[in-house]
Amino acid sequence: MKRFLIYLVKILFVTIFIAVVLDGLYTAIFMQSKNRGKIEAVINSKAKNYDVVILGSSRANNHFVSQMFEDKGLKTFNYGMSGGHLFEASLMLKLMIERKYEIKNVILEADLNLSNDKESDGVSAKFLPYIHNSEVIKDHFLSQENFNQLYYIPFYRYVKYDSKIGFREIYNITKGESTNALDNQGYYPLAKHKNGNMKNNILNLKPLPHNKYYEEIKSICKANNINFIAVMTPMCENVVGMNYFDKVKKAYPEIHNYENVVIENKYFSSCGHMTDAGAKIFTARILKDFFNK
Amino acid sequence: MFFNSLAFAIFLPIVFFLYWFVFNKTKSTQNALLIVASYYFYSCWDWRFLFLLVFSTFLDYYTGIQIEKGKSEQSRKFWFWLSVLVNLGFLGIFKYYNFFATSFSELLNSVGIQASPILLKVILPVGISFYTFHGLSYVIDIYYKRIKAEYNFVDYSLFVSYFPLLVAGPIERATHLLPQVKVKREFDLEKAKEGVCQIIWGLVKKVIIADTCATYANAIFDNYTSMNSFSLILGAVYFAFQIYGDFSGYSDIALGVSKLFGLDLLRNFNYPYFSRDIAEFWRRWHISLSSWFRDYLYIPLGGSKGGIWMKIRNTFIIFVVSGFWHGANWTYITWGFINAIYFLPLLLRNSNRNNIDEIKVTWNLDSVKVIVSILTTFLITCVAWVFFRARTISDAVLYLKRIVTNRDFAFQFLENDRYNYELLLMIGIFVLVEWNNRTKVEPLSGKNSMLKIALAILAIMAFGTFSDYKEFIYFQF
Repeated sequence: MKRFLIYLVKILFVTIFIAVVLDGLYTAIFMQSKNRGKIEAVINSKAKNYDVVILGSSRANNHFVSQMFEDKGLKTFNYGMSGGHLFEASLMLKLMIERKYEIKNVILEADLNLSNDKESDGVSAKFLPYIHNSEVIKDHFLSQENFNQLYYIPFYRYVKYDSKIGFREIYNITKGESTNALDNQGYYPLAKHKNGNMKNNILNLKPLPHNKYYEEIKSICKANNINFIAVMTPMCENVVGMNYFDKVKKAYPEIHNYENVVIENKYFSSCGHMTDAGAKIFTARILKDFFNK
Repeated sequence: MFFNSLAFAIFLPIVFFLYWFVFNKTKSTQNALLIVASYYFYSCWDWRFLFLLVFSTFLDYYTGIQIEKGKSEQSRKFWFWLSVLVNLGFLGIFKYYNFFATSFSELLNSVGIQASPILLKVILPVGISFYTFHGLSYVIDIYYKRIKAEYNFVDYSLFVSYFPLLVAGPIERATHLLPQVKVKREFDLEKAKEGVCQIIWGLVKKVIIADTCATYANAIFDNYTSMNSFSLILGAVYFAFQIYGDFSGYSDIALGVSKLFGLDLLRNFNYPYFSRDIAEFWRRWHISLSSWFRDYLYIPLGGSKGGIWMKIRNTFIIFVVSGFWHGANWTYITWGFINAIYFLPLLLRNSNRNNIDEIKVTWNLDSVKVIVSILTTFLITCVAWVFFRARTISDAVLYLKRIVTNRDFAFQFLENDRYNYELLLMIGIFVLVEWNNRTKVEPLSGKNSMLKIALAILAIMAFGTFSDYKEFIYFQF
């Protein structure tokens, strides 16, 4: 039995050794990545100046046409992330501040995402390779249930989120393969979808009265003299439970309600996401209301 | 609690420690611990089904004794049929009732009689097909006086409920496992090391091969109407490796875990994709089920005695029943039927036992013949797997039809943002490793074992699929 236990200890040691080596290797590769996504682009960047930074979910990513801001002479980047929640938007802003970004305005898409203050696994995973290299990321994840496993067990985060930060991603980074996440200054235009879902039921959604990460973004902006603009973005006309937006307005009076600026189905790719044409109408209105010098 | 879960990684060392360091005094204490551990393991799925397991165990234990004690043939028959009918009754209610009710109602509707089936809202108790077959084989063997009834309830319970085999086999025989649980187990270093190697290799098959192939196979099967011929062929191949990696991986882990407790389970897979004909495939695939059907269905039906028509009839019966055992769906029945058709030419030519020798390949013409026959067997197996995987028979037919009619063999980008061809290299390496070790139980033991273990662990960590977790396929059976 003693010999078997020694045998098991050897296997355990080999496992830990491999985990440590792989962890170091993967992290080193992620530290070199710049053209795969918005998170890597911010983490591996130096100080930048922006007139406008856009944050939020896909409803920010697909709705704010950065080029239209640029045409007005406003240096803009759309950091909206498909699937992201306010947890990730807040972390993204913290990282920009950590990297000494000079930002004049932050536009935050704050509507459906106010209904929860949880992380979005698929998006938050992309911050995890850098958890040992950024105090901001470490602190942000500190309140998460599985922080200890993610932080202290070598390679655990890469195994747990292998579809996001695993071998495939490492291979693509090494190959130098870029994604389209950084094209169009971060804006991702959508086309009209033949089979797009034009019905949506948000009856069960309720905005949290004090969304932790919304408040965090607000206070970061205040502390750094950034003009904070929070907006609700449009949805198609067939939404059940449209009074959600009224509830948001009631809980957060400072959020501007643009839900009904574009309503016709022809401007939507799916019920919650406008086409490029819809996004342009919406962006024009935002520019008119907030940046009309 | 799955074998590849964190919970099991904690559970196993605890049970191992208690087994060898605390409860190692007698075989009774060892068995008692394993029973408690097994019931805890089973209750992790749904504790309510524990009652069913205990009832089923008690039924077969009691009827087994009554059959043996029976003074008249009538009494023996009574207890025998009671056990068989109750066991099959449970299986019928939980697994097949809704299928029969729906099929019957559809049949009535098709002849113009309006009927809507009364369906049961029950979930299938995990492992029911496996432990029912354990119990049935035990009772049948007692009835035919092949074995003596077991009078120690704890020992018998362990035979039925032993956690490594409880939920997905291998389907054990009383003649094989009961004698092992009747004696105190002494620790065997070599056996335990073999067990560790088999567990690690099982994990390689599950998390690298099965779960990764599943990602691609699902993307192809679920969208087959928009896939080209090349993707559809790859989809069938990926599913073939998914189900092999999944089930044989599970079996390897079960056998390996059991070796840690000093108990040998029946081998369930013997490199089935290296078979030279379909008969050999069925001697290498899910061996414990195939041999169960052979011993408890095919032979009682008359086996190969009674002329060619009897042989054909019996062959079709066991393949169709085997298909039906997998699930209450016409796709499984069709899969069984197709395998029977594959088997037919071998049966008619009396060549179903031609390939029982070891596969040898050298640089000569005979070896080319062997390789062609292996590839042909794999090809027809993949065709049958399409029926196993598809949701309906018409989906399977359309899938196969599209392979022939589409004729586009370009690389295709799948719905899950991956190219269809990406796994070919990984599967190729896996096949090579298995081919070079086909005379062994698994490739990791032997010379340079620690290095091979390290490489396997590295591969599991780097190439395994963990976030897109998939249950072991055979748990649903």
